[in-house]
Amino acid sequence: MASVSVEQMGDGPKPKSMVRAKRWDDEVENAYRFQTAGYRDEIEYKIIKKTEAERWPVGPGYVKKLQRRDGTFYYYNRKRECQDKENLHALLILILSVPYVRLFYNLIGEPRRKVIVFL
Amino acid sequence: MSTAACQSHKAQGFTLKANMKNSKVIGPPTAGAFLERPAKPTAFRKFYERGDFPIALEHDTKGNRIAWKVEIEKLDYHHYLPLFFDGLCEVVHPYEFFARQGVHDMLEHGGSKILPVIPQLIIPIKNALNMRNKTVICTTLKVLQHLVISGEMVGEALVPYYRQILPILNIFKNKNRNSGDGIDYSQQKRENIGDLIQETLEAFERHGGEDAFINIKYMVPTYESCMLN
Repeated sequence: MASVSVEQMGDGPKPKSMVRAKRWDDEVENAYRFQTAGYRDEIEYKIIKKTEAERWPVGPGYVKKLQRRDGTFYYYNRKRECQDKENLHALLILILSVPYVRLFYNLIGEPRRKVIVFL
Repeated sequence: MSTAACQSHKAQGFTLKANMKNSKVIGPPTAGAFLERPAKPTAFRKFYERGDFPIALEHDTKGNRIAWKVEIEKLDYHHYLPLFFDGLCEVVHPYEFFARQGVHDMLEHGGSKILPVIPQLIIPIKNALNMRNKTVICTTLKVLQHLVISGEMVGEALVPYYRQILPILNIFKNKNRNSGDGIDYSQQKRENIGDLIQETLEAFERHGGEDAFINIKYMVPTYESCMLN
């Protein structure tokens, strides 16, 4: 099994590649919410804000409230907000952190840890 | 033959002139039930222009969204919620957007803070419905549907105020578009007033408790229950 060296700079693991999302699911929805607030994904939000994102206690547990970098707050609905037309511009970015390196090579073609990015 | 004999005089009905020869009775003037009333200046616009609201408009590529400068959970609902409801009368951007989205966010995240404020919301709701503007009525109906599900006992708390907000719904209840066998796209976009009123009354009945139906029936006699029978 090939090994992969992952750069872990002070602000967390860096993305290695990206794949375009084909359809909507819960992960796409959450990533959409982080992206509209100006973050790459949940990992970046935790690093910058030093706290977990607040989520709805019911259902799939989508993100409920995020604080932007300028200090203002974005609030999101408990139901789906990302429409299908947004999915066409979604990109999947692979985040490889150390615990997931070996797992990734065990699951070739099926990313284990991904972030959806919207252009 | 003289021309005077050919001339007919217009006269109101049930008058002496109507009984004369050559008088043509004209119908009564329209009452103007569907006539749109002009919007009055709202407190919402005044407060917005003074910068008293803790909100900022964000023009992102996905559309407009409100960024709150203060967490909604920390807002004084007694002060802000009636002001946002007052802004439902606005039809001009960005006031209309801020009011609509602000109300939505505050109802979505208000929880138990909404119930004590209900009495202060009735006048703004009544003013918005009384404008008889199609867009404003549609927005207000959607807000009412959201209001009754926003917190516990809110639907029941609205029952005493049905006589203030339901008369307008009674007027517009049959305002459906007869498109024959065509497709009414306003239904998909939830802009058909008749259907929206039916949805709103059903939401009132579902969340209004035992007395809701009889009170709705009193104000809107053609409404049929969605829960009984």
